[in-house]
Amino acid sequence: MRRVLAAFLLGLAAPGTLAAAPLPMVQIAPGVFVHNGVQEDASAANLDEIANVGFIVGDAAVMVIDPGGSALEGEALREAVKATTDRPIRYVVMTHVHPDHIFGAVAFKPDHPEFIGHAKLPGALAQRGDYYLRTLRRALGDKADGTEVVAPTRLVEKTLDIDLGERVVEIDAHGPAHTDNDLTLFDRRTKTLWAADLLFVNRIPVIDGSVLGWVRELEALEKQPADRAVPGHGPVSVAWPAAAEPEMRYLKAVIAGTRAAIKEGIDIGDAWRHVAPEERGRWLLFDDYHPRNVTTAYHELEWE
Amino acid sequence: MAKTSLALSAIVLMLAGIAAPASAEVDEATRAQRWADLRAQIFGSRAIEDAGDLVAIEAPTRAEDAALVPVTIRINGALRGRVKEIYFVIDDNPSPLAGRFTFGPAADPNEIETRVRVDDYTYLHAVAETKDGKLYGAQRFIKAAGGCSAPATKDQALAAERLGRMKMTLRGQPHPGEPMEAHLLVSHPNSSGMQMDQLTRNYIPANFVRAVTVTYNGAAVLSVESDISISEDPSFTFDFLPTAAPADLKVEVEDSNNRHFEGSWPVKPKSGT
Repeated sequence: MRRVLAAFLLGLAAPGTLAAAPLPMVQIAPGVFVHNGVQEDASAANLDEIANVGFIVGDAAVMVIDPGGSALEGEALREAVKATTDRPIRYVVMTHVHPDHIFGAVAFKPDHPEFIGHAKLPGALAQRGDYYLRTLRRALGDKADGTEVVAPTRLVEKTLDIDLGERVVEIDAHGPAHTDNDLTLFDRRTKTLWAADLLFVNRIPVIDGSVLGWVRELEALEKQPADRAVPGHGPVSVAWPAAAEPEMRYLKAVIAGTRAAIKEGIDIGDAWRHVAPEERGRWLLFDDYHPRNVTTAYHELEWE
Repeated sequence: MAKTSLALSAIVLMLAGIAAPASAEVDEATRAQRWADLRAQIFGSRAIEDAGDLVAIEAPTRAEDAALVPVTIRINGALRGRVKEIYFVIDDNPSPLAGRFTFGPAADPNEIETRVRVDDYTYLHAVAETKDGKLYGAQRFIKAAGGCSAPATKDQALAAERLGRMKMTLRGQPHPGEPMEAHLLVSHPNSSGMQMDQLTRNYIPANFVRAVTVTYNGAAVLSVESDISISEDPSFTFDFLPTAAPADLKVEVEDSNNRHFEGSWPVKPKSGT
């Protein structure tokens, strides 16, 4: 109820001026906190809290990893940080351009953090930011009020180490995969790989960059040892690299099936019916995203 | 061709001035008014007959990907062979007139397939103009994509690197005088220039394919005046009529920055099937 009231009031005032109820968090390793996103599409009921988002607490500072899908979620995440530690939020990492991960950034502006993104994030935001705002408004109505596009203030070309105080977090920029601006993070203290949307578990992966590139990046990532991984969608903590197997299987099935459809001259609009039908039933939201994934893969693979 | 491209650009500018109703909740009366405004801009006071089944728009009921929605416009029944031009309009897109497709004598003028961006819940309209100057219109409603889908380039670096490359796929074996399907792909980011960069508050410069001309054996097959509603890497599928002797299918492409791209593919029919 308090949350609902806070949400209502936030609609009238600038984010950051009123306290929202803290977002429920799970501590998956010492100092690593994750909120479990719901397996739904964005709506007014879920405030676009559909991705796994969270923060890492160092001895001197806090890093938020994905500020959430709306100003309201960002505000609730910020309250969760404050309820956990009084160390300052110095970094907000935006793992990629998708709205469910980064539209909460505006709520952290009062902390004046560095907003960290992939070197290609500004270009992607330029192309998509305005459209995503409209889409969010369509899905959330006035619950989207206060949400705006926040520019990254520090860009990652390849890799960047951030020291949170006796705790170094490594940030890696990837080639086109889930999107063309994906970041993953590695907390050296707990050997936690924050895979963001390079890793989907249970929920069907969304291909919005390059399906071939995603397989390449995932193969490389799988070689990195980690005690656990945080998927962008799925449980808050999973075994690594075992948890990546279903995603790899799906991506490879999409590649093989789409290549076959192109070879047979099946049109782009019909191809999904013929590609990886065995994967239906293995993923949440399969019917919502599989046709789109095949369309994207077709568009990429037809140039081979 | 430069002249007709300019004409289309002029229409586009006028249409852009008509405010698009936003979102899914727009009522049918508003949508009808929107189309009335658009058709007046494009066709003036000319009558448009309801095409019934004679013109079909094939598209998914919901756009799976806002950036790439396959659409086929098919001419049926008594209209087959009589159409010289097809106008395709996406009512609620920022630039509604997506394309104007003109068939030449070397075409089988009954089908055109392309891929478009769909920004919102909107009606699609196809208007076919016959050789004797009559207009026949069809419409279909489509829902916008949800989630993280956007009418934007997926891999911007690749789009720039591959600019202007073309690919032509001929389906089946050519037989003289029998329609043959050809699928043309042009690698081009086809960026709209109408998206505002939320970070700089500037509009991204436009960079799109504005004209495509296809000829076969020197005769016109298809000319397309295209626009920013056409997807990245513009795709056009059409039918042409192979001759008995081998001849070339040629393509010329011009973009909004006056870049010019050309391609040529030999067609060798098997005679006497």
